[in-house]
Formats: sequence, C-alpha cells, structure tokens
Amino acid sequence: MELKILYFGMIAEATNCNEEEISLQSGSTVEQLIHKLNNKYHKLKDLSFNIAIDKEISDHSTLLNANSEIALLPPFAGG
Amino acid sequence: MKKRKNVFVEGPISPSFIANSIEKHQTKTTIGAHNIFLGQVRADEIEDKMVQAIDYTAYQEMAENKFHEIREATFDKFDLTCMHIYHSLGKVKAGEICLFVFVSAPHRKVTFQALEYVVDTIKKEVPIFGKEIFEDETHTWKVNN
Repeated sequence: MELKILYFGMIAEATNCNEEEISLQSGSTVEQLIHKLNNKYHKLKDLSFNIAIDKEISDHSTLLNANSEIALLPPFAGG
Repeated sequence: MKKRKNVFVEGPISPSFIANSIEKHQTKTTIGAHNIFLGQVRADEIEDKMVQAIDYTAYQEMAENKFHEIREATFDKFDLTCMHIYHSLGKVKAGEICLFVFVSAPHRKVTFQALEYVVDTIKKEVPIFGKEIFEDETHTWKVNN
C-alpha cells in the first residue's frame, strides 16, 4: 500500500521534504514504518518524534491503512 | 458547544490587537475579571549565538483540532464567561508577542486556574514547531520543557 507521510520542523529538515509517499506491505504497523524511514533517512535515528495518525498521536503497535494521514511530529514549541 | 475559532495569526500579535480585544469586552458586563497571558519571543543565547526571531510552523489541521479540544475542556472544567487564544505563525522577532490567551469570568479565582491550564496544555499538546533563527541566519529548533 502507498502511504502519505507528512514531515514537520526538524524532521522535514532531515528528510528534505514536507511530504512523500512510502510504500509498505498491507497490515504494516507504525513500528515497521519507522524502521523503513530510519533506513531511508539515517539522521532520523538521532531525532525525537511522535507519529500522528489522522491527527492523533499513536503508539508503535498501531496498524496503518492506506487512507490514513500519517505525520512525523518533532517536539512541540508553541507559546 | 462553542463554535470553532481561528487561532493562528500571521506574524507577531500586536499590542493594539490585544488592546482592541480588551475593549471589545466592555459590553460584557457580567464579567468581573479578565486574565491575560502573553508569550514573548526571548533572545536566548545558545552556544554564543543570540536568537533574533522564531519562525513558527504547525501541523495546522491537527493544531486547530487540539485548540478546539482545549477550549471545550477548559469550559467544562472552569466557569468562564469567554476565552480567546491567538498564536503566531511565521516569523516573530525577539521581544514580539507570539501567544495571547485571554480568559474572562465573573470572579477572579477561576481565571488564574483556567489561564494556567490553557497555556500549559497548549505547550504540551499542540503541534507547533519553532525554528530559532540566530543573528547570522543559522538556526536551531526550539523544544518546550
């Protein structure tokens, strides 16, 4: 399946783009996505981030589906 | 249920905008107490370089959802007459205002509690990112404590 991934802040700097499509096997989890992204972008391993699925922070065991909007969110800095 | 409001403002929040917001409340005469928090960009010194501005970005749709949830939760917890939240996007120079939270109620005590709750929750839960730009145009990324 093709997944749309959004990147923000220092994460977008590490990936050098704001969004892209990543292909993963159906039934993959957040953890498998992170593994794939860490291999693609070595800098990601040193950065701290949360993953939001459909605008809610999710844990690593969550199952992904092709319609989900996935975002990698670095630490917040509002205010 | 209160309707959704725009929170994001492009660039700094001006003192006249804040004054104007206070003035608008003069017709709401059940209010006896206002409380205001203003977040100002600090010229931090980081590794011998001075921050001259913060460039704010956000995961805007999620941030708007979160602001809405925070508003709802705040009205559930505290007996407020009204509240307003404004946050900057884009570049805000050191010394300028980037966050304006305004809560109002008939009596003062609840406004102190509500204001602290709102500001703390914004800092913790809203996906806003801050690029701290130094005087030499290099940058680092701000992280809330």
